[in-house]
Amino acid sequence: MGKTDSPTEKRALTIIGFLCNWCSYGGADTAGVCRFKQPTDLRVIRVPCTGRMDPLFIARALILGADGVLVSGCHPRDCHYAVGNLYARRRLEILKRMLPFMGIHADRFHYTWVSASEGQRWQQVVTEFSEQVGGLGPNPGVTSFHTGNREEL
Amino acid sequence: MIGWETGYDTLHTTPVFIKDSSEIQRLVWNPFCAQNLAGYLVKSPIVPRGEGSKKIGICVKGCDSRSVVALIQEKLVARDMLFIFGIPCRGVIDLRKLIPNQTGAKILSVRLTDDQVEVEHSKGLQHLAFADVLMRKCKRCRYPDPVIHDVLLGESVLPRIESHELYQDVAAIERLSLQERLAFWQTELDRCLRCYACRNACPLCVCQDRCIAETRDPKWLTQYMNLPEKFMFHFIHALHLAGRCTECGECERVCPMEIPVSLIKEELNKITKELLDFEAGLDLEGVPPLLTFSPAETGI
Repeated sequence: MGKTDSPTEKRALTIIGFLCNWCSYGGADTAGVCRFKQPTDLRVIRVPCTGRMDPLFIARALILGADGVLVSGCHPRDCHYAVGNLYARRRLEILKRMLPFMGIHADRFHYTWVSASEGQRWQQVVTEFSEQVGGLGPNPGVTSFHTGNREEL
Repeated sequence: MIGWETGYDTLHTTPVFIKDSSEIQRLVWNPFCAQNLAGYLVKSPIVPRGEGSKKIGICVKGCDSRSVVALIQEKLVARDMLFIFGIPCRGVIDLRKLIPNQTGAKILSVRLTDDQVEVEHSKGLQHLAFADVLMRKCKRCRYPDPVIHDVLLGESVLPRIESHELYQDVAAIERLSLQERLAFWQTELDRCLRCYACRNACPLCVCQDRCIAETRDPKWLTQYMNLPEKFMFHFIHALHLAGRCTECGECERVCPMEIPVSLIKEELNKITKELLDFEAGLDLEGVPPLLTFSPAETGI
């Protein structure tokens, strides 16, 4: 990274958000309808349920240089499909604890629960995560060792 | 039945499939019988069940027996179709440690005594301690006695380490800084050829030709030989074994590039142990923790 005039320094953050269709996607919508100010770094991908989340989605995003990945679903015991998020939280927690072992900062990944009515909470989650990732700077992915150049992918 | 027989020289054993009792003398057991035979129960070439109520006989070491338990847990193989010959194991020899790579010497013969290995090679005679030439997984072996068996052959063996020493190898990596850890894996995984030998040798990698590392749809991996693809492949392999890996060390043994790939699975096992208090392949009634859930869990 080094010099402040390098193009990567000025680059906006790329944060991928995987939101469950029934709660957090609705929650994000509520936040929008209520005109809550939110950071613009988040790219939202709608998934049917956090139970659909393969931890490999997150691993792939971070390996290829996404600066952060946010996963959000229904609160536990509130899942539209009853138990999807109960499976998900085990997988996601294990991934979160495993990432630093491979040299990827655990703070680049966050999972949380936001219901469709919690527009305010959604605003808070996105703002905090965006600041957290911003503090870490751009994610070089795993290629920096050779080229430091993500465009080569 | 499935067992080991002497291979093309005394250093190597190969799996043998015996269908007739007259061939039984082909079977051998020695510290070169490294291969985990459990994979043959579920992976090509799958050993078919005999006619009628004939069972499949299988020879297992302590570590192999855990793989068999894991396969039974996941209902990939039925307990009642197996007859398990359990063999308490003092450890198997890592051939790469018998002779240092740089010397290029050729091994002529090997003699084993209780705790010594005498290697005769083209540049002379060498005496090594048995404990020094063991595979890494054997040095951290907690279950030298098979955890499941119909008949036990040989004397019980004591574990080499205490349970708190189990994860010393991953702890050494955890002590590095984040940058150093990334650099470590970049250096190690950069050598990966993506030959998938680790996956093919793994007794629990049972997807076979449906493995997402090779399917076109969904297309998880491309043919490019770059670091992200290599990292991704090892994430796939490791995460699909989270809470299932029995640490038989086959992935590491078969790696032609000597990448310590089982470290990733050991780390995941350490996490599952801490988080969900589960150790794979010990209890026939156990359910791998990622195939189930508990509503009562808090804090995650």
